[in-house]
Amino acid sequence: MFSKILVANRGEVAVRIIRACKEMGIATVAVYSLADAESLHTVLADQSLCIGPAEPRDSYLNGERMVSAALASGAQAVHPGYGFLSESAEFAALCRKHKIAFIGPSEKIIALMGDKSEARRFMQDAGIPVIPGTGVLPDVKSALEAARDMGYPVLLKARSGGGGRGIRLVQTPQEMEKAFHIASQETADAFGDGALYLEKYVFPARHVEVQLLADEDQNVVCLGERECSIQKNNQKLIEESPSPAVQDALRAKLVEAAVRAARTAGYVNAGTMEFLLDEDKNFYFMEMNVRLQVEHAVTEQITGIDLVKWQIRIAAGVPLDFSQEDVCLRGSSIECRINASAVGTVKALHVPGGPRVRFDSALWTGYSVPPHYDALLGKLIVFAGSREDAIRKMQAALCELVIDGVPNNIEQQLDILSDRDFCRGSYHTGFLKERGE
Amino acid sequence: MTVTLNLRFRKPKNELEQGGRPPASPAETEPEIARKCPACGQSTPLSALWENLYVCRCGYCFRISARQRISFLADRDSFTELFPQLESRDILGFPGYEKKLESSRASAKEREAVVCGRARIGGQECALFVMEPYFMMGSMGAVVGEKIAGLFEHAADEGLPVVGCTVSGGARMQEGILSLMQMAKTSGAVKRHSDGGNFYLVLLANPTTGGVTASFAMGGDVILAEPGAIVGFAGARVVEQTVRRKLPPDFQKAEVLLEHGFLDRIVPRADQRSVIAALLSIHRREREG
Repeated sequence: MFSKILVANRGEVAVRIIRACKEMGIATVAVYSLADAESLHTVLADQSLCIGPAEPRDSYLNGERMVSAALASGAQAVHPGYGFLSESAEFAALCRKHKIAFIGPSEKIIALMGDKSEARRFMQDAGIPVIPGTGVLPDVKSALEAARDMGYPVLLKARSGGGGRGIRLVQTPQEMEKAFHIASQETADAFGDGALYLEKYVFPARHVEVQLLADEDQNVVCLGERECSIQKNNQKLIEESPSPAVQDALRAKLVEAAVRAARTAGYVNAGTMEFLLDEDKNFYFMEMNVRLQVEHAVTEQITGIDLVKWQIRIAAGVPLDFSQEDVCLRGSSIECRINASAVGTVKALHVPGGPRVRFDSALWTGYSVPPHYDALLGKLIVFAGSREDAIRKMQAALCELVIDGVPNNIEQQLDILSDRDFCRGSYHTGFLKERGE
Repeated sequence: MTVTLNLRFRKPKNELEQGGRPPASPAETEPEIARKCPACGQSTPLSALWENLYVCRCGYCFRISARQRISFLADRDSFTELFPQLESRDILGFPGYEKKLESSRASAKEREAVVCGRARIGGQECALFVMEPYFMMGSMGAVVGEKIAGLFEHAADEGLPVVGCTVSGGARMQEGILSLMQMAKTSGAVKRHSDGGNFYLVLLANPTTGGVTASFAMGGDVILAEPGAIVGFAGARVVEQTVRRKLPPDFQKAEVLLEHGFLDRIVPRADQRSVIAALLSIHRREREG
């Protein structure tokens, strides 16, 4: 087992990883940018190193600085968390070169799944249903031809996309040219790769994803699904497990497909396969996330399995000590992402408690939200015996959560939780758009 | 009032979890030598730079030696050197020149500031010269002039196109008037080669200045340049002191020269071989046709 791990991230996920390490008796090294000098993870870790200015590309996205910090501090492994370097094959390779374990899959798998169009082809070959679509399109003309054959509406997607960027809905041929150029420019700016492909637009649909854990001995277990259809501009807001739309028979099919895909790819460590579920309960592979997910906590609640600890164990060569049969999905868990809608300083903070209420956050009274990073303030997670009880518990917990001084979305979350369609569990990815959000 | 994070957490007394293999010791690895990009500040290991033809991820072209450039441009094992034995002497007794030559030979591992020969680029036979920036900044003395003029004469006799890559600070001041005479000599050789209906393509690398710009560097039928290359006669500092005005940051940059019609095209290093090969093949077909 590693005796020292560098946490190559910030905010709540850095705190989450440090907590897991503390339980495992592993020493931790936090890294921070100048904008994060007053951050919780820097004091929670055993050691902390400043790695550069606020601009992510000079700090949290700079692989060389991360590896330098790991070498300087004597860390044997790096946990990338989510975002930043977590899906960089180049960074994983750099770690390996310096004999630092990268807590995640190999750079080969990261590169394969990072190329969304290659990943689609891989899944198709593995017999996993994918949304009808194309390979990389050289120009607008080929996009128009492909869309005509497929039938509108279509989605233009970036090969190297993520976080909802580089996705454009095209309803008519007239919209294609403009959408193509904008999407291409957007992803070229954000990811340095402007390549696009087309997919049939499946709507209404639900976003359902499946959590996997795979060890080096090719043991793959599936920890059930997560429902992530409540999204605003392709950013998830509420996640729950199990999905109200997935019954046992469908779950068995999803699990079988996900496990087969992971085995075929030779996948190791934690990963998530995202599927789109149409109204007739047909599911299509969308993409595979080769890292810890923001919403991993709901899976932890209903399975009782600590995903971060298992990520670390798998990277250290520990085989899974349970099989698919041992995985038992119990009760219902919901997570609300609490996002800042503007920067500010936390003047008063009250975190709800009570049984089965969890708040994963890096907030403290006096903390100033820096403008350079994502808006996530924390994740409120509840767990109860039934979905109905979980919604009640979340309502109560949200009402108790106080983050004074930073404008946030607690009110919006309460509105969603009291929505009739949400309570009935009948909603899709257009839920917020239909309500004018 | 700003509140500072003044929390001190105690360390739990959890023992290290057991299991798995013993972790590798990172300290055993030897860090690879890297070069820092003067444009973006990022460090890139030499192996990665070599694979990327010594171009940084930001597009900055690092300076490369003549032999490196030949290996990037010419087909594998196709280069045969001409006039390798020629080397400069201190004819004028210029103070310190002899010593300077000695140290340049040692550091550049070349006898002179230009490497000439015959090569194939994308299968196209040509005469090739590449200037050596690590030898007195590619400055032109009598021997550089002689080698370049000799190459043009050889190419004219053989009916070969000439491909040249210039990197130079200009005429070599230690050789006084003798170095200035090379401007006329090389220009004459270029003209004679051209009069024979032969093709001359020049690639201007950073920097191409002084007497080299004022002679054979700008005499090409097609003039290409590397991105960001400085191409000019007098250096920016000299011009600034003379005209007593602050010059724009893109002064003498290849991109500005292209805008004003002094260049035909700016070609990134990765495309140079294919672009030059295409131009050589177009030219050949036209001549034969």
